[in-house]
Amino acid sequence: MIIVPYVTGYLSEHYADDDFRTLSAYKAKGGFEGLKKALAMEPEEVVEIMKSAGLRGRGGAGFNAGMKWSFMPKDTDRPKVLVCNGDESEPGSFKDRLIMERGPLQILEGILIAAWAVGASKAFIYIRGEYKEPIRCLEAAVKELYGARLCGENVMGKKGFNIDIVVHSGAGAYICGEETGLLESLEGKKGQPRKKPPFPAQFGAFGLPTTVNNIETFAHAPYILDRGVDWFRGFGTEKSPGTTLYGVSGHVERPGLFELPLGTPLREVIGHAGGVRGGRRLKGVIPGGMSMPILTPNDIDVPMADEFLSERGTHLGTGGVMVMDETTCMVRVACVVSYFFRDESCGQCTQCREGTGWINKICERIEQGRGTQQDMKLLEDVPAMMEGQTICAFADAAAWPIQGLMRHFRDDFEAHIREHKCPYPESFEL
Amino acid sequence: MVTITIDGKEYEVAERRTILQAIDDLGLLMTEVDIPHYCFHPKLAVDGSCRLCQVEVEGLPKLQIACDTPVRDGMIVKTANQRVKDARKGVMELLLINHPLDCPICDQAGECKLQDYSFDYGIESARTQEPRRPAKKNADLGPTIVFDQERCILCRRCVRFCREVPKTGELGVFHRGDESVLELFPGTQLDNPYSMNVADICPVGALTTKDFRFKIRVWFLDDQESVCDQCSNGCNIYASRSNNKVYRYLPRRNDAVNDTWICDHGRMSYKQILENRLTEPGIKGQRDVGYRDAIQEAGRLIREARTSSRRIVGVASPYASNEDLFTFRKLLEALGAGPGTFAVQRGEADDVLIKAEKAPNANGARALGFEESYESVGAADVAIVLGHTTTAEYFRDVANLILIDTHVSSLMDQAAVVLPARVTAEKEGTFTNHANRVQRFLPVVEPKFEAWSDGDLLQQIASASGLGGWDSMYSVHEISKELTESIAAFADLQLGSLDDQGRELS
Repeated sequence: MIIVPYVTGYLSEHYADDDFRTLSAYKAKGGFEGLKKALAMEPEEVVEIMKSAGLRGRGGAGFNAGMKWSFMPKDTDRPKVLVCNGDESEPGSFKDRLIMERGPLQILEGILIAAWAVGASKAFIYIRGEYKEPIRCLEAAVKELYGARLCGENVMGKKGFNIDIVVHSGAGAYICGEETGLLESLEGKKGQPRKKPPFPAQFGAFGLPTTVNNIETFAHAPYILDRGVDWFRGFGTEKSPGTTLYGVSGHVERPGLFELPLGTPLREVIGHAGGVRGGRRLKGVIPGGMSMPILTPNDIDVPMADEFLSERGTHLGTGGVMVMDETTCMVRVACVVSYFFRDESCGQCTQCREGTGWINKICERIEQGRGTQQDMKLLEDVPAMMEGQTICAFADAAAWPIQGLMRHFRDDFEAHIREHKCPYPESFEL
Repeated sequence: MVTITIDGKEYEVAERRTILQAIDDLGLLMTEVDIPHYCFHPKLAVDGSCRLCQVEVEGLPKLQIACDTPVRDGMIVKTANQRVKDARKGVMELLLINHPLDCPICDQAGECKLQDYSFDYGIESARTQEPRRPAKKNADLGPTIVFDQERCILCRRCVRFCREVPKTGELGVFHRGDESVLELFPGTQLDNPYSMNVADICPVGALTTKDFRFKIRVWFLDDQESVCDQCSNGCNIYASRSNNKVYRYLPRRNDAVNDTWICDHGRMSYKQILENRLTEPGIKGQRDVGYRDAIQEAGRLIREARTSSRRIVGVASPYASNEDLFTFRKLLEALGAGPGTFAVQRGEADDVLIKAEKAPNANGARALGFEESYESVGAADVAIVLGHTTTAEYFRDVANLILIDTHVSSLMDQAAVVLPARVTAEKEGTFTNHANRVQRFLPVVEPKFEAWSDGDLLQQIASASGLGGWDSMYSVHEISKELTESIAAFADLQLGSLDDQGRELS
C-alpha cells in the first residue's frame, strides 16, 4: 500500500483510507455530489462552469479543460466519445497511477460529469499496460458503478443519459500517451500520432467526435462542480487555479507525491520531499517530467505554475520534479534522456526518427570521452532541426531537454571533451 | 476556386485540396513550383511524415507541410526562403545519416529522388561518423521485387500503395524510432497483380524489380510514349529503350485511364516484342520465300476467287489499330466481301485496371463495323485473317487462308500465305479502349527482321489483287486523316491532333 503524506487540497485528502475506493465510503466523503449538481444543470452550463474554473489539463500541455469540452460539435447525431488518458509514461511522472489506485471513483465521477457536459455515450479509460494495479482498481470501480446504476442507461435516473465506460489496457509505448497516438492504439492500430487537423473533437476515436483528458483532469471536475468555481480558484494562481500532485524524485531525502496548490515555489515543493539528499548542493531540477528543459539552482524560488516556468524557458508539464545534486554528470543525464526518446520515437517523421538516434549517439560519444567540438555544434544543430517540424510534439520533447542541458551545463560537456573522459567519479558505466 | 500566391505568383486552384495536391492538379509540381517531397504521392493518401515539403504560410508561426495544408483563398506561400531551405537541409541531412552513400553501385542512381534532392536541396558533406543502421540486403519480397532495406527512407508509399490500390496490404513498417523497418507482414509475400508498381513509387533504391535490376544504367535509356495492349483498359505507358531494344515498361500517368499504375502482366509484356515472333513469310508451309512472293501469292488467290465469284471473308483482330482496321474495312468493301468479323479472348478482371477483354482495341473494331463472332466463318475460298485471337476451328471450311500475324501460332500450318506483321511497339496508331477513349501509341523500336504493319500489308495485298486505286501506299497519318473524315465517331481524333492523354469517341 502506498502511504500518501497528505499536505493540502482535496484530491488526496482521503487517499490513506483504503475504503475510499468503495462507492459507499466515497459517497460518505461527498462523492457524486458534483455529478448530482451537474445533472441538475443543462450540459452547456456545466461546460461554462468548467471554462470559468480555468482548470488546466494535467497531462502536460495545460490547455483549459472546459474550453476543450466546448469544442465538441453540438449539432450532430453521431455518437460522441470521451477518452481518459491513463497512459502516464513520462519519466518522472507517477501521479496518475496514485489517483487510479487510491481515488478511482474521483476519475469516474469526473468522466460522468464530462459525458453529461459534452453528450458522450461512450468513455474509454486507456491505461498503460504496465499499470496492472491501476487497471484492476478502475475495473473494480467501473463494475461497482454499473451495479449501482451509476453508469449504463439512464444514469442516476436521468432519462436519456446513457454512458458506457470501458477500461482499456495499452501495450506499452510512450507515444500512446499522445492523444492521437492513443486513439490509434485504442483502435487497434500501431500507436502513431495523427496529423492535425482534423482534431479529435471532429475526428477522434473510430472517427467519432472525441474529447481526450488526462486522469487527473477528470478527477478535479467533481470538486469544481460540487464546491464551486470560487472555492476552486481559492487554490493556485490566477492563470493556473487548483492543486496538483507534484511528484518529486531523484536526489531528495523522501521522494513522493505531494498535493500542493499550483504556483507553490519550487523550493517548497522540494522541501516537502525533505530537500536534497545528504545535505549536498543542488545542481539542477527538471520541473515537469523528463521532456521539459532543466532549471538551475538560480530558479529555486520559481512558482511552480506554467506561466512562471515558461518565462524561464521550461514548462510545468506533468509536475514530475526530478532533482539532481552536485554529483550528477549532466552529459550522463543527456545520455539517459536521449536514449529514452530514441527508444520511444514512433518513427514516422524523419526528424524525430533519425534525430533522436543521432543525438543519443553523440551524447554517448561525449560521455565516453570521444567527443569533439563538432559534436557540440551538432548538439546545437540537430535539436534545432527537430523542433516544431513534426506531426506531434514528441520531437520537441526530445529536443528541449538537450537544448536546456546545453544552455545551462555547457561546462560539463566541454569538460568531457577537454579531458577525454567523464570527470564525475560517481557517473557509472554506460 | 480560390487564389493562392506561391513565391509571388498567383494560382487559381480548386478548393478543398492541399497545397501540393492543388499544384499537382495544375501539372506544375516540380516543373514550375518546386516543393520537394518523398511521402506525398498524388494517387495515394496523404501521409505527412517525411516533412520535406515544409513551406512557410504567411500568418502561421510554424512551417507547414504542403502535402497536408489545405489551400485557403488569399493564402501566401513561400517555398524558397532561408527558413524553408534550412528545414529542407535538415531533413536531407537526417535522411542520409542512415542511408549508405554507395550511389555508384545502386541501381536507382540516375532516377533516385534522394540523389536528386541532395544535389538540389541537401548538404555538401556528411557530418556523421557513426556506422549506418544494420539492415537487410537483397531481401526477397516475392516473385517480382527485391528489397534493400538499408536504402529505405521509410516514406511508406509502398505500404499505402498495397493497402489502397490492390488492397492486399502485404507491407508494413515495424518497430519504432530509428529501428523502424519496412517488412512483409509475417506469412505473406508481395505477390499481387500490381506488385511491381512499388518499385516505381519507391523514391530510392530500396525496392527494385527483379526483372529490370542491374540490366542497364537508366541514363542510357530514353522513354517513348506508348499504350499497353494486353487488355482493353489501354494503360498509358512509357517504353524505356536503348539501342533499339525495350528494357522495361513504366506506367505513364493518365488520370482518366490508369492513374499512375500498370499491372504486372502488362509491365512484363514488353518481352513479347522479342519472344516467339513470326519472323519469315511463308507460302503453303514453305518458309524461305521472299516477302514479295508471299504478297503476290496472296494477291493471286484473291484475284482467282474474285474471277470465279467465290466467297472471300475477312477476320480482323482486336490487337490491330484503328488505322489498320480502317484499311481492312476499306479492302473488304472493295472486294465486296461484306463486313469482317473479329473475336476477343476474355479472362479475369478486377476493379483496379485489369479488364476482361484481353486485347486493346475490341471497341475500335466495333466502332469500325466489325462484327463480333465466335463461330466458324463457314465455307469460303479465301479468308484474310489478322491473327492473334482465332483458332484453326474458325477456318475448317476455308480453302485458302491468308494470315497476317505477329507471333508463331497454330494457324500457320493451315495457312496458304503467312505474312509477319509488326507488334504495337513497332508501329504508330491508335487504340479505342473499353471506355471508348482513343489513345495514340508511337513507334518504340524497329523490328529486327522485315515486317510491316497490318495496314501496310493489306494495302500491298490489295494492290497485288489488282484492285483499282490501291497502287500507291498511304502512310498511317494519311489513313488516320481519311478515317477521321469518313467515320463520324472518329471525327477530331486524327493521329496528329491527339495528345498524350487521348480523347473519347464522339
